[in-house]
Amino acid sequence: MALIFIRTAIIFITLLFVMRLMGKSQIGEMQPFEFVITLLIAELACIPMADTSIPLLYGIISIIAIFVLHQIMLLLDLWFKPMKTVICGKPSVVINKDGIDEFQLKKNNLDVSDLIESMRSAGYFNLDDVYYGLYEANGSFSALEKEEKASYSLSLTLIDRGKADKQNCSRCGFEGQVLNDFLKEQNARLKDVVVLTVNGEGRAYFQKRGEKYKILQIKVNGQW
Amino acid sequence: MVKSIIYTLVAIAICIGTFIFTEWYLNKQFDEFSTALDSLYVKVEEQTATREDGYAVRSLWDDKKSKLQVLVPHNDISYVDYWLNEACGLLYTGKYDLALGKIEVLKEICKNLPGGYSLKLENIL
Repeated sequence: MALIFIRTAIIFITLLFVMRLMGKSQIGEMQPFEFVITLLIAELACIPMADTSIPLLYGIISIIAIFVLHQIMLLLDLWFKPMKTVICGKPSVVINKDGIDEFQLKKNNLDVSDLIESMRSAGYFNLDDVYYGLYEANGSFSALEKEEKASYSLSLTLIDRGKADKQNCSRCGFEGQVLNDFLKEQNARLKDVVVLTVNGEGRAYFQKRGEKYKILQIKVNGQW
Repeated sequence: MVKSIIYTLVAIAICIGTFIFTEWYLNKQFDEFSTALDSLYVKVEEQTATREDGYAVRSLWDDKKSKLQVLVPHNDISYVDYWLNEACGLLYTGKYDLALGKIEVLKEICKNLPGGYSLKLENIL
């Protein structure tokens, strides 16, 4: 029985470690250890229930082990602040006054399209609708929004981390030579662009790697 | 908070109690069964064992089995069942030399089985 307890604890710690490595994209509004418990508990309950050759006590001991580990995690969370960071992680500021923090995105295994998606889920449809945007330790997105929204038109992503979205570029007539001219004007190569989004009114959010974002006005078809 | 700590301590105490009891109980049950097997082995070696001796060991095992099923995976128990029934069958037909081999296997199983559940590094990994 002690064997089952220790094996459960090892799997728990391994899963927790892996979940922390996977970053916030995999968690989905739970603390990492809560997510690990959710993953484990269903299996632990199911296997002895379905397989009659395994004593039910094995499942019960495993579930008690999970309960004990959960309580220990909660107590560590409350009593030792550094442990809270180790176990649960800390919030990551992905949009700051300079724009998108690519390093923080990479650190959490996220990309610009994930950020834009999170922003849309939170009700912000343009990157410059917020002063600050951050992923909480539990993977949810929070933002300090601007008093007034920059525009009420949906933005399309034209360039995402150095890659042009051909479909979106052609939809707003921003392809080929037009795109090249724009990049030349901004003194940037395609691979140096962190993000370029544009809304139906031609308001563009442009950020070059290592530089502050710019709000530009560009000519678009406005067909969306 | 205090309630939470108490619950945790109670859960840990239950677990530790279960671990100690399981270790002790498994060793005790298999030791008793091994002793019965040893005496059967001696009788078979002397060719004085009767089928009643075999049935007596089997009924002892049946009694233990019903309790061990709470702690040991049933596959391991059916493994002992299989070898014991083979040995009893051979005793019934008076094939002592073949029965000896089966009892020898059973003795080994009883020696090794509790070790498979004890707290050892090779079992954890």
